[in-house]
Amino acid sequence: MESQPEKRAAAEPADSGGEGGAGGLPQVAGGRSEDRVTLLLRLRAQIKQQLVEYKSMVDANEEKTPEQIMQENQIEDKIEELENEIEEVKIAYEMKSIALNRIQRSTALQNNLEKIDAKNSEFMDNMKQILKLNKLIIRSQKESRSLERKRLEIKKKRLDLKKASESKLLEIQTEKNKQKDDLDSMENSDKIKTIRQNLQMEINITTVIQHVFQNLILGSKTNWAEDSALKEIVLQLEKNLTRI
Amino acid sequence: MSVLRPLDKLPGLNTATVLLVGADDALLQRLADSMLKTDCASELRVHLARSLPLPSNVNRPRVDLLVFVINLHSKYSLQSVEKSLHHVDASFFLGKACFLATGAGRENLCSVHRNTIVRLARTYRSPVLFCDLEVEGSRAAMAQRLARMLQISAGHVPGVSAMSLLSLLRSSESPSLEDL
Repeated sequence: MESQPEKRAAAEPADSGGEGGAGGLPQVAGGRSEDRVTLLLRLRAQIKQQLVEYKSMVDANEEKTPEQIMQENQIEDKIEELENEIEEVKIAYEMKSIALNRIQRSTALQNNLEKIDAKNSEFMDNMKQILKLNKLIIRSQKESRSLERKRLEIKKKRLDLKKASESKLLEIQTEKNKQKDDLDSMENSDKIKTIRQNLQMEINITTVIQHVFQNLILGSKTNWAEDSALKEIVLQLEKNLTRI
Repeated sequence: MSVLRPLDKLPGLNTATVLLVGADDALLQRLADSMLKTDCASELRVHLARSLPLPSNVNRPRVDLLVFVINLHSKYSLQSVEKSLHHVDASFFLGKACFLATGAGRENLCSVHRNTIVRLARTYRSPVLFCDLEVEGSRAAMAQRLARMLQISAGHVPGVSAMSLLSLLRSSESPSLEDL
C-alpha cells in the first residue's frame, strides 16, 4: 500500500560491560577469549529468555479461548481480572524470592558466625540497630492499633447517641400528631354539636325575650331616656347576645 | 502478510528490531537516528513505516517492538495510526507495542488532545510515552528508553519479559479519566 522506506543499520557495539571489540556475531577476528566467553554467555542468556517466551506462548495457545462473543464491558472486566492475576503472581514470586534470600543469608551468617569478631564489628552494630528499629516498629504499631480501637469505640457511641436522639424526636412527633388528632376529633364530636345547638337555641330565646321587653317598654310610651334605671335596662337589652 | 504477528519468525542472534509506524517521515527518521546512536549491547535494527500493512514482498526480520508515533499537531497522524492498528495481531499488545505521542508541549499547535491518546492506549492496554521529538535532549532520552524497552521485548534481558514490563508500566487509573 504505502511505500516503506526501510533502513537497516547496525549499531556500533557498545563498550559497556567490558565487551570491547566484539562484533554482533561471534566472528571475532582476534578477539580475546574472555570477551568471547562473555559474549557467548550473554547470547546463551538471550536464547534462554527467548525460549521461555516461545514456550509460554505455546502454552498460552493451548488454552481454549471462549468462542462466544462477549459484550465489550465484559471483555474489559475479564482483561482486568487477568491483569490482576498477573500482578498477584508477580507479587507472590517477589515475596518468595525475598524469603529465599533471607534464608540464604541467615544460613550463610550461621555458617560464618565463628569467624566474626563479636565485639567490634559493624555487623553487631547493624544487628543492634535492626533490633532497636524493630522494637520501635512494634511499639508504634501497638499504639496505632489501640488508637484505632478507641476511635472505633467513639464512633460507635456517637452512632448510638444519634439513634437514641432520632427515636426521641420520632416520639415527640407522634405525640404532637396525637394531640392534634385528639383536638380535631373533639371538635367534631357529637356532644359538642348538641351543646352548640342548645346554646344557639338559648341565645335565640333570650334575644326574643329581649325584643319583647324592649317593645313592652317602648310600647308603654314612657320617656325611658329620662329615667336612669329604665335607660340602663333598654341599653342592656340592645346587647347582641351572639357576640358573647 | 496482511496482519503483523509477533512471533511468526525466529529471532536473529543478538539482534533486536523495532518498527516505527507514523505519518511524519522526518520525525521518524530523527528518532531512528537517535536510537541508533544509543549504547546497546545488542545489535539494533530500526524499520520505519508510514502505515500498515507492510508490503509482503520484502524479507524482513521479526519485529520485536512496535512503536506508533502520533504527532499531536496533526489529526492525520492519529487517523493513519488508527487505520494501521487494524492490521496488527492482538498478541502484539502483550507488551510488544507502545504509543509515542510527540508535541504535547506546545498547546497552541495541538489539534489532538492528549486525552485522546491516553484513551487509545488504555483501550489497547499498552503504555503511552510522551516526548518532544523536535528537541534533541528529549529525543535522545526517549531513544534510550525505547532501546531498553526493545531489548526487553526481544528477550535479551534475562528475567524480564515483555509482559512483566507491561504490568510495570501500567499507570494507575485516576478516577477523572475513567469517566471520559
